[in-house]
Amino acid sequence: MSARDPSQNRFRSIVALWWLPVVLVAAWWIFSASSQSFYFPPLQKILAVLVRDLVSGSLLVDLFISVGNMLAGLGFAILFGILLGLAIGEYGAVRRATTPTLNFLRAIPPAAIVPIVIIAMGIGSAPKIFIIALACFWPVLLNTIDGVRGIPTPLIDTARAFRIPLGLRFRRVLLMAALPQIMAGIRVAVAVALVLMVISEFFGASAGLGFYINESKQRFAMPETWAGTVLVGILGYLMSALFLRIERWMLGWYFQDAGSSAKTAR
Amino acid sequence: MNSMNRPKSLAKPLVVDRMSKSFGAVDVILDLNLRVEPGEFICIVGPSGVGKTTLLRCLSGLAAPSSGQVSVGGEVVREPLDEIALVFQDYRGSLMPWMRTLENVTFPLQGRGIGREQRDRTGMECLAAVGLENAARSYPWELSGGMQQRVAIARALAYDAHILLMDEPFGSLDAQTRLGLEDLVLDLRRRLNISIVVVTHDIDEAVYLADRVVVLAGRPATVVDTVTVDLGLNRDQMTTKSDPRFVQYRNRVLKEIMQ
Repeated sequence: MSARDPSQNRFRSIVALWWLPVVLVAAWWIFSASSQSFYFPPLQKILAVLVRDLVSGSLLVDLFISVGNMLAGLGFAILFGILLGLAIGEYGAVRRATTPTLNFLRAIPPAAIVPIVIIAMGIGSAPKIFIIALACFWPVLLNTIDGVRGIPTPLIDTARAFRIPLGLRFRRVLLMAALPQIMAGIRVAVAVALVLMVISEFFGASAGLGFYINESKQRFAMPETWAGTVLVGILGYLMSALFLRIERWMLGWYFQDAGSSAKTAR
Repeated sequence: MNSMNRPKSLAKPLVVDRMSKSFGAVDVILDLNLRVEPGEFICIVGPSGVGKTTLLRCLSGLAAPSSGQVSVGGEVVREPLDEIALVFQDYRGSLMPWMRTLENVTFPLQGRGIGREQRDRTGMECLAAVGLENAARSYPWELSGGMQQRVAIARALAYDAHILLMDEPFGSLDAQTRLGLEDLVLDLRRRLNISIVVVTHDIDEAVYLADRVVVLAGRPATVVDTVTVDLGLNRDQMTTKSDPRFVQYRNRVLKEIMQ
């Protein structure tokens, strides 16, 4: 078969990826255009409000605050999830001592503790960050534990045989070998962070996207409520797309290795 | 290479003294005695599943004997020692896929606290010794199986141990690559003053490489024979393997394993 024009190929793959979302948005736009419903304003109006509030800066501030809370919460979750996960995965004694407790705590839905945390920590950013961190901690922790426990024996033997000292062993062997699974955990955590960000800002908040949505709802300002919701959706999409890029970049060796394993198996 | 200049007096014998190893109620190795002199090349042969890998794990300190002991120059091996470097059968699994070739080779030196510059210099020397100086910046998965195993050998050389233990090092390579690596190891052996212990199920390979072939057989496994291979230091695939003495040694070992 003759080689196709690469730019044409690229065009085809973009079309293959994007035709459905474009059709859906267009359908929404067209079918809502003449809507008289109070609850379902035209998409055109929603987007106009979205742009207006972003440009005026009020929604932009909410967006920054929410993103800031999410990143801070995720940061804590990733840091503590990995540190504790490495220790639990590597040391049987730590695992036995912590498993029952962790299984109990993990069973509590993170959203259920939002009221308590708000009452205890007030309405600033701290309780939101705490809630996001707590919810995101679990997927990172559990995946790190699994990742460490699943490290192939030859790698562990190699590190032992060549007397790799503890710090180096954790940093360059255990962490790296578990990284594909850790990243999978973080990917889940990113989605969880978005959910808890919104929920935590519904209660006792004075800023943030969740606050913007909830506050608009209470004023019966439906276009604003919709605009906030659409913005959360866009934010979630962008965050996961960005994360996929980071993952590809950090795990280049992993995806390449998996692809070449069949080739060099013998 | 740093090990080339090592005075012979520093090299120590590896001694296995009445070593037994059992897993639960199953005795794998019983009362095994073995002595590897400094600079000696030993091949341990035996049928598949006889316990060769278990023995090598005990020699390296990765596994503990159930009774008896392994010692290097009088020091009992309880954990892996600086004196011993290991080349695994599973070269693919023993190289870190997130490290480039050079870092894989120098990683154990980093563990010893040796600085970057000196580490890289030693690493490049050892890669050159196995003919891979051009692959320093490649990742292991970009290399063929034979090249990956040469990286593992370079790493063992960089570790600068007195004793090199190899577990079925060429078992999963194609015949041609395998012969090339056998000659590489013989060449390293002539140039470096190290003891080498190779575990293999390939009798031709054992006789071709070794000064002494230790035949392991039985259940639990013991040493059933030790064959001193008097073929000199300079061997090559064609003439050595057609030498009548080679055939004699080979047949003797074969007969013991077939029993």
